[in-house]
Amino acid sequence: MMAKELFPDAQEIRKGRIRIEVEPEKVGEIVKKLKDNGYDHFVMLSCIDWINDGQFELVYHMWSYEYREHVMISTRIPRDGGSMVTLRDLFPQIETYEREIHEMFGVDFIGNPRLGEFILEGWPHMPPMRKDFDTEKFVKDFYYKIPEVKEE
Amino acid sequence: MRNDDWKKVSRLVSKKSLWMVHFCTGCGAMEMPPVMTSRYDMERFGIAPMATPRQADVLLITGYLSIKTLKRVVQVYEQMRDPKYVIGFGSCTINGGMYWDSYNTIKDLSKYIPVDLYIAGCMPRPEAIMDAFLKLMEMIEKGEAIGWKKYHKYYDQYKRNQRMAFSYRLDEVQDIKEDDAK
Repeated sequence: MMAKELFPDAQEIRKGRIRIEVEPEKVGEIVKKLKDNGYDHFVMLSCIDWINDGQFELVYHMWSYEYREHVMISTRIPRDGGSMVTLRDLFPQIETYEREIHEMFGVDFIGNPRLGEFILEGWPHMPPMRKDFDTEKFVKDFYYKIPEVKEE
Repeated sequence: MRNDDWKKVSRLVSKKSLWMVHFCTGCGAMEMPPVMTSRYDMERFGIAPMATPRQADVLLITGYLSIKTLKRVVQVYEQMRDPKYVIGFGSCTINGGMYWDSYNTIKDLSKYIPVDLYIAGCMPRPEAIMDAFLKLMEMIEKGEAIGWKKYHKYYDQYKRNQRMAFSYRLDEVQDIKEDDAK
């Protein structure tokens, strides 16, 4: 069954692009339902920082080879102390995306045991992809202040 | 013959046989295949790629370095035997290039390991790379490529900068300022 039939409320952005906005608790259920109905390719999980709304948006992208249709399941969680239930049991590759988002945005995925260091090593500051992390200031205060090697 | 003369002879010979470990970071690695293969053929100058740093003379840093890569670069550099030379490729190694405001790439390679020669450009063309190798040979013959000696001499300063970068903190800078004030 196509996504539009499964979820009549889904918004069709254009042909082959379906967007579903749901509460965080329902994401697992919807991903499972889509998986059982031909949407067997989990493409990726992305995160958007809506700093003015105080929210993170998590988008689960899925693709069906059968219907050639791309479904985006979008959900919003609070920016401070927001958490999400891991979906690594449905698609094992979600674990990697969750690790990345945990490192870059600081979102906690409950039930994922591997939320440790991933790409960055020994990063002591705020997660760098958050919009309130001032990259330019950090670069000026850190890299440009590392002293040159003085030769006598 | 005096000792100095022998050094001259040894430099004259060693400049004709440069083995390089091409530590491919960033986009500079793409410029190496044309230099190595028949089009520009660097082997006619006695330059050959070498798989292990222990047998290599030249370390090419081909582009931007993240802190994570820098750790590996320092390890590779310290494994190489003296005399060893470093060539920094492109603007990324000089001042960060287009990654000047990236939170995770170093901006000036010479703060962490001594660089004998920089090649400007983003990325430098194979001609520029060949030119740099010839220039490096000239420097070796004249005894000007002394980056490895600097690394011995200012080891503490290089190590301090590396530690700062690896920890993403400037804590030790305060100490240096205090030392200067004294």
